[in-house]
Amino acid sequence: MSTAYNARVSRGASPMRPVVALGVAVVLIALFVQAWIVVQARPQDLVSGAHGMADIIARSLPPAFDQFKPTLMPVLETIDLAIFGTVFGVVFAFPLSILAARNLSPARPLYLAARAVIAVTRSVPDLVWALLFVTAVGLGPFPGALALAVHSVGMLGRLFAEVIEDMDMGPVEALTLTGASRTQVFTHAVVPGVLPSLLGIALYRFDENLRSSLVLGFVGAGGIGFQLLTAMNLFQYQTVAFLLIVTFVLVGCAERLSAYLRSFVA
Amino acid sequence: MMIFGTSVAAPLDQQGARIEAAARAAAHRATLATGTKLAVRNLTMRYPNGHTALYDMNMSVEAGELVVVLGANGCGKSTFMKCVVGLNKPTSGTVEVAGRNLTELSGRALREARLPLALISQHANLVRRRSVLANVCSGALARHRNLATALGRIPRAEVQPALGYLAEVGLADLAPQRAGTLSGGQAQRVAVARALAQLPQVLLADEPLASLDPEAADEVMRLLRRLATEEGLAIVCVLHQPELAARYADRLIGLRRGRVVFDRHASSVSSREIADLYVADA
Repeated sequence: MSTAYNARVSRGASPMRPVVALGVAVVLIALFVQAWIVVQARPQDLVSGAHGMADIIARSLPPAFDQFKPTLMPVLETIDLAIFGTVFGVVFAFPLSILAARNLSPARPLYLAARAVIAVTRSVPDLVWALLFVTAVGLGPFPGALALAVHSVGMLGRLFAEVIEDMDMGPVEALTLTGASRTQVFTHAVVPGVLPSLLGIALYRFDENLRSSLVLGFVGAGGIGFQLLTAMNLFQYQTVAFLLIVTFVLVGCAERLSAYLRSFVA
Repeated sequence: MMIFGTSVAAPLDQQGARIEAAARAAAHRATLATGTKLAVRNLTMRYPNGHTALYDMNMSVEAGELVVVLGANGCGKSTFMKCVVGLNKPTSGTVEVAGRNLTELSGRALREARLPLALISQHANLVRRRSVLANVCSGALARHRNLATALGRIPRAEVQPALGYLAEVGLADLAPQRAGTLSGGQAQRVAVARALAQLPQVLLADEPLASLDPEAADEVMRLLRRLATEEGLAIVCVLHQPELAARYADRLIGLRRGRVVFDRHASSVSSREIADLYVADA
């Protein structure tokens, strides 16, 4: 074993020098202090405002369970927002991810274009997309569905592309050498290799989209979020409490379902 | 039992499949004239960085012959294989497979001319989540370019022959099993079966024993020997196991620093000559 190798190993194994460790600690503390100042943190306000929160909680009880029936449609709307957003996202993200995967992209300009589309759709938050679509198509669940769909294209596109880039290229090369066409190589070697991971990611995205669709309602994009906003504006805290319970149950069920389905494709 | 949309009777009719595969192989053999299947002439490969990996290499392989190429790491074995399959364009010289010069072809013409050539590499490179049978059938995709196969279906007409190829490598029972569950030796034998599904005339094996234990390695070499003798395949195998090479090969080719230092009948190559291939250069 070379001396240089031994030196590298011993350097790697040695603990951080005290001066460096102190420097790192000082930088971390400074970072946290500036965050504390910028967010104007006032813990004492939490204590003094406790009675206000207690008052709201008291006025929320008992939750308005009689709102069950009128809430069914918004619940369905919320679920459908997530379904639309996820399906649309998967349908557009999959071809996009092939173009955006370095190992499969047919041409450099296409790769760059696909990466650009992914970057734009992904970096703009779904809430901003929802505001844009509300302006374009008006209030209701449709702008919310479009917002989730467009944001999902970016999120899924990037994750799908990463899965494709990490795939084992051995079977692809082996089938290529047998004389199989590009399409055959894609469907017989690429798709079976990455499909389980892609399905897992899509299911996880559905779970995310369901939670996002709740928030989107706050900007007029329908679903339970819109009901929640309306109830809060009208000071109907018992309805708010009921809607929060519905939200909790819905998100919990979606998480369990998503995890259960993902266990099948893992 | 359904395997990717194709029904497979259980238990598998191994005898029938074997007979069908044998008949198919015989018909395939009948179409092949005996004689030289792979001819490499004056092959020189110089990389853009100036390194010459092969110097004026000449070799040929006849139908039914098993030739083993031996040599230390970096002696040019991989470059030689890449030149033969057309992954590297040689600086000069020719590579003829079944009478067609591959070096002057590219794109679709190269893909078609390469069809009589099958490659088994160090790793079996199977699609782990597909069945063993689907993996074997995928070797025949080039003969079935249609919508169904483009959509990921295995060619129905290849199911019975594929079972036969699996029977030939002794793995017909594993046809419905996922390829990812196989041992290294089994996976390599399935790779051989996939190569057979190509109906090749020349079989290249690039260090096929690299990740196998001695028993599995011996099994694969026995299989290659049988395919050469009984099926008439011309086989070129790159190995790092001189004792297996001496036991199974008809001919040994020794490569040292890109040059052929011997190309003779296996029995006439001394162990000293083989050992010299692996002596580090001063």
